[in-house]
Amino acid sequence: MDEIEQVDEQLSFWAQHRFLVLIGLTIVISLVLVAVGLVIYNVSGAAQLDLSRPDYKSVSSQVVDDVDIIDDYSSTGAINTVTITQFKELFDEQATSASAIDAFGGDPLDPEVLEYGQGDNQ
Amino acid sequence: MKSLTRIISLAIVGLFVAAVVTSPYAQAQAVLTDEQKEQIVTNCQSIKTIMNQLHISDALLRVNRGQLYESIATKLMDRFNGRLSSNNINTDAFSTITSSYRQVLTKFRSDYVLYEKQLSKALSIDCQKQPSEFNTAVESARTLRKTVHSDVTALNGSITSYQSTIDNFLESYQQATSGVGQ
Repeated sequence: MDEIEQVDEQLSFWAQHRFLVLIGLTIVISLVLVAVGLVIYNVSGAAQLDLSRPDYKSVSSQVVDDVDIIDDYSSTGAINTVTITQFKELFDEQATSASAIDAFGGDPLDPEVLEYGQGDNQ
Repeated sequence: MKSLTRIISLAIVGLFVAAVVTSPYAQAQAVLTDEQKEQIVTNCQSIKTIMNQLHISDALLRVNRGQLYESIATKLMDRFNGRLSSNNINTDAFSTITSSYRQVLTKFRSDYVLYEKQLSKALSIDCQKQPSEFNTAVESARTLRKTVHSDVTALNGSITSYQSTIDNFLESYQQATSGVGQ
């Protein structure tokens, strides 16, 4: 009888608090998953590309969307002078876009540019 | 018990040494003259403003360039290579360039992440209180930005090589088909 009473007490304790345990576990699991998501967000490089961040609000509308126009060329189909020339024109157009800007060129972090003295001071 | 205590002590000392060695204060710092330090302290706000603008413009540039380079790889190179393969045409020359291009593209992405993190780190340093550390961080960011630029140059080089290969292929194809037609 004592054993049965003890088991009854244990069951009733968990029975009384199972809702709180459920809520607590849900919160803990949610926090863990959020932490995992934040780690992935930072480690994967997505943070650097996320123009919705407050810092990048001023330029978020300047993202170019017109790369979608190069959906015209299919990976299947005939190879002949016409299709090769068609591809060449598409490719040349994008190659011109790529070389039009010297991306990350110049030296904007030169101390001379940043107004604190001579460059190459190491 | 003694050996366990010794192991734990060594581990604590090792962690302490590692913490000191990897501390930003332990990194080699660029030599600054007093005049340069004074200029950094005086112009701190304007320097930070310029760097913030650079941070923002580089982020936009990265997104736009990244989209373009990725589209060239997936929507053009891969599709053309696939079409050639499906027509039983040798794609070795194209595939080699495409593979090299993708490697450089991957490197470009990872190098940009390193550069952006370093630039953010430099921006977080108080240049009025820590001009030397600030200068060191800026120099590191400068080096990393040059690495990103070299990746861009390599990507453009691969694109040019692919263009040449297309031209050569078209010429060969026209010669082969005109020879067959005769």
